[in-house]
Formats: sequence, C-alpha cells, structure tokens
Amino acid sequence: MTLRPPPPPAQPSGPLSGVSRFIGGFRWAFMPVGLLALIAVGVHAAADTLDERLLSLVDAVDSAFDRLVGASTLTEGLVDLITLEQRTLIARALALAWELSVDLVLALPALGYRESKRTEEEPWRKYLQQDTRPTWRMLFARFLRKPTTLRWTRPLATAAVVVAGACAVARLIQGTVYLSGRNLLGEGAADVTARGLALGALVGILATLGWRAVLRNLQDADTASEELVRNRWQAFSFGLVGSALAVPLALAAALDAAPVFSFLR
Amino acid sequence: MFSRNARGLLDFLMAALCLWAAYHHTPAGALVRRASAWAFNSRSTARPLLAYYDGESSSGPTTSSLVPTVPVLRPISEAGALAYGTYLALKGLQPKAQTPTLALATELGLPSEALLDEAQGPVAARKLLEALEADFPNEDARLTAVFAGRIPARYALERVLAEGGSPTLERLAKQLPPGFEDAKVAANQALALTTVFGLGWPVPESTRIASPFGYRIHPTLGTRKLHTGVDLSVPQGTEVKGVEEGVVRRASEDAVNGKVLIIDHGRGVTTAYCHNSELLVKVGQRVERGELIAYSGNTGRSTGPHLHYQLALSSQPVDPLRFRAGPRTMASGARP
Repeated sequence: MTLRPPPPPAQPSGPLSGVSRFIGGFRWAFMPVGLLALIAVGVHAAADTLDERLLSLVDAVDSAFDRLVGASTLTEGLVDLITLEQRTLIARALALAWELSVDLVLALPALGYRESKRTEEEPWRKYLQQDTRPTWRMLFARFLRKPTTLRWTRPLATAAVVVAGACAVARLIQGTVYLSGRNLLGEGAADVTARGLALGALVGILATLGWRAVLRNLQDADTASEELVRNRWQAFSFGLVGSALAVPLALAAALDAAPVFSFLR
Repeated sequence: MFSRNARGLLDFLMAALCLWAAYHHTPAGALVRRASAWAFNSRSTARPLLAYYDGESSSGPTTSSLVPTVPVLRPISEAGALAYGTYLALKGLQPKAQTPTLALATELGLPSEALLDEAQGPVAARKLLEALEADFPNEDARLTAVFAGRIPARYALERVLAEGGSPTLERLAKQLPPGFEDAKVAANQALALTTVFGLGWPVPESTRIASPFGYRIHPTLGTRKLHTGVDLSVPQGTEVKGVEEGVVRRASEDAVNGKVLIIDHGRGVTTAYCHNSELLVKVGQRVERGELIAYSGNTGRSTGPHLHYQLALSSQPVDPLRFRAGPRTMASGARP
C-alpha cells in the first residue's frame, strides 16, 4: 500500500472550462434553487389538470350540504350560501392550497441539497474519518428492504413531477425559440433549433437536476425514516398526510402532464 | 452522495431554465414576482394566484361583462355566433392586445378598422374567420389564430397533435409561451360567448317569462334580491331539454332550488334548471342538445309550477334573454 497521493486527474483547459469551473463554485446556491424550481414547475403542471375534478368534488359537497341544511326551515336560507362563482373560487383555492402543500412536501427538501468534494485526498485519510452519509446504493437497499410510506412515495412522486416539470420547461423553450427566432432564422431553421433545444433541455434537465431531485427526496425520506420510524405502524403512518397529498398529483403528472414522446415527433 | 464535478455551466443553465419557467408559470413564481414588484415599487405583471387555474385574467374585462346590453335582433347562425363572440372579445381587449388581430386582418386584405366598429364589426369578424377556415378548420384553433396570430396558432396546433388528443383551446393555449396571455383570454372569451349565442331553449320557444333576470322583491322572502335566472311559466310535468351538449355536474334536491340540475357545457358555460318534479339524468352523465333531462315541477321554494332557468358565464349568472333573438312573451306584470 502506498501512502503517496494519486496524481490529480487532468483538468480540461480552455475558456469554457474556466467559466464552467468558476460557475461551479456557486453550485451550493443555484443547485438547490434549480431543484426547487423544477419540482415547483412539475407540481403546477400536475395541479393545473386537477381543477375541474376539484370543482366536481366541491359541487358534490355543496349539494350534500344543501340537502342537509334544506331539511329544516330554520337553516334552509343557507342553501344559497355558496354560489356557483364561489364554488369555482373554492375549487381554485383548493387547487392552489394543494399545489403549495405539495411544494412544501416535495420541493422544500431540495433546499437541503449538499454536495461532497470528490475524494482526491490521501488514501490513508479514510482510516481516520468515516463518511457516515449513506450512498445511493445504501439508500436503494433500504428502500427495498425497509419500506416505509415516506421512502416509497416521496422519491416516486418526485420522479413523476420532475418529468412533468422537465416537459413543461422544454415546451416553453420550444415555443419561445420558435416564435421569437422565426423572423431571424427562417421557418425551417427556427423549427429545427427549437425542437433541438427543447429535446436538449428535456434530456439535460433530467440528467442534471431530475435524478438529483429524486435522490435528494429519497435521502430526506430515508433520514426521517431512520430517525423516527420504530415499528411497522409508524412505517405506514409516518408522513402519510404528505404522501396522500403528493401521490394524486404525481399520478396526474404522470398521466396528464408528461408528454415526453411529443418532443420526438 | 452528490459529487461536485466540473459541469458547472451545464448545471447552471438547466437550473436557470427551471427558475425561469417557475417564475413565469407557477403561483409560487407569481408570489415572488409580486413581492419583488412591491419591494422595487414597480408594477407586477403576475396574474392573480387563482387565475393560474383558469383562462381569465385581471388585466381585461370578465367574460360576463362582455354580454351585449341589448338582445340580439334576429337568430344567429353558428358562424354568426362565432363572429359575434369574436367581435365582442376583441372589443374588450386593450388597444395593444388588439394589434395582432388587426394586423392579421390587414394581412388578409380586410379593413382592420371595421373589426372594432359596432355596426360592421361582426360582419368583418366573420370575414376574418372565413379567411382562416381553410388553414384552421377547428374553431378553437381558428380563434387562437385570430387573437394570437396564424404562426403561433399553427405552432400550438402542431404541438397539440404531437402530444395526441383533440386541439381544445385550453391545450392550445398551454403551448404558447409567455406574452400571449391576453390572446389566450380573448380567445377563451370569444369561445364562451360563441357557445352561449348557440344555446337552445329548455322548453318550447313560445313559453312566457313569468319573471325575468335582475333585481326584484323576492316573492316568498319579501326582500330585494338578484334573480339569477328567468322563470319560465310551464305546467307541471313539462319536458325540460338540454340546451346544448354537456356533462351533468349536479343533480340534487334541496329546500330552495327543489330538484335541480346543473349542466357544464365547457368553455366556461353552465346552465341550471330548478324546481323540477323529476330528474332524468345523473351526475357525470353526458347529455346531448335537445335531450330530455327533467320534468318541470313546483319543488323547493316556489310559488307555483315553473322552470327557473339559469345561465352562467365564467361562473357568473347572466341574463339568458340577452342571447336570444326575437320577441319574448312576458307574463303580465312580470318584472325583474
């Protein structure tokens, strides 16, 4: 065993690499914000598909309420309490509250995103200090062997909303580039550029931010599960409310708000 | 677990893109925009938070305020309804937001100033719509073209077709980037008005109006109250028919409205039918125009057999008679 440190890996040179390294110095600031924004966009794309269903729910509750208060002459005046306009407002307010709640549940952990330095230290250091943070392999093993509601729902829900979020961003880019670049580049070139950039953004976001958002949520769920879950009941019930809020939105994101293949057509 | 590597520029670009999208397209972004406008004492361009879930906007008039002040003089055809709705929505826009439509008219060789003229506007709008029909056979896409321009509409249409499914205005609007908000709202309003102008009537046309829309002294409560629909004087058991295809959103009974049906016709248009003796459809059921949906009656808070027919545009009740052509038979002494 040699105690000499390994030679440092060859650093790419050139102005772009320099800029990249310089900007990389601020990853601690922009990566958590980027993850947060990606999840927020995905959650909104999903919530946007649910407002009509929420209106049906509010209507059903209101008709049950009307039937109840209409049974007595004392309370029948309350039948007119909520108008159609108010029901629509309530449905939208519920959609907003739901979206912001799921933002709290799924996006807020992104702010705890931290990166570790690449291990370029002398090999003997590993005998002095142990990095106790679990690797993704350990997280995945616990995800399978020690399932909790939190461990299962949070990363999967995050995966669904980040795909929807990446699609929403790609769609925005394609529209903006095509419609603003058409006069400058011409019809064909603008179309090709817009499609290429949209696809690039979709792949790029999933490759840079998407997997990190999922893994960060798994990391957060794993930490909470390890610290607070002591038995099977707790494994099921801990974080159930947040998961009950996040899962329907995640399903909406996967089914209605993630047209991944449309960017290839 | 997350190693720090040299892809700083790429990661930064992707994070910036997500931040841009969140800033423009989420209620959370709207909160940030409002906060920054407040902090810098500038005007916020963010829509109201709840407007992120509908097609309306606070910057222009609401759809219900675009309702014509006098009833239409003669029956309107389907194409005429679309043209009249387009004209009303265009007139409601701010001058700057009218520019793409006026430019489109000029491009197609139509006099753009006629589009805003009270007398010639509906005819000019019809010509404009006819000129676009070959490129945009779908009504929703055609209205997108009128208010956003042909190229954005064609782009949105291609994107929706790539995603699969029908090109509804809601889906077309989602494809357009920031900057087209007014166009989306106007197209939505035009489509809602078009739908309302095309509605049928729930009972025979000759039915007299027992009580029209508007403020009145309530016959049972004795207080001044907005009568949110029209009372159609029909005997018990009269067939009530759907005025347009739609989905039953509510079929219930209570002490005020009696047996009540609410049908959602899409595009922000709903109709309600109260005081029925029997409901023939269920919640979630799709009904066709002219389909028998109920028998009229005298249930709920009612002083005699009649049908209370209510029309709502963007969730606000409007006078259904404003959209009906021809004279209406009013009951003697009928007043709002």
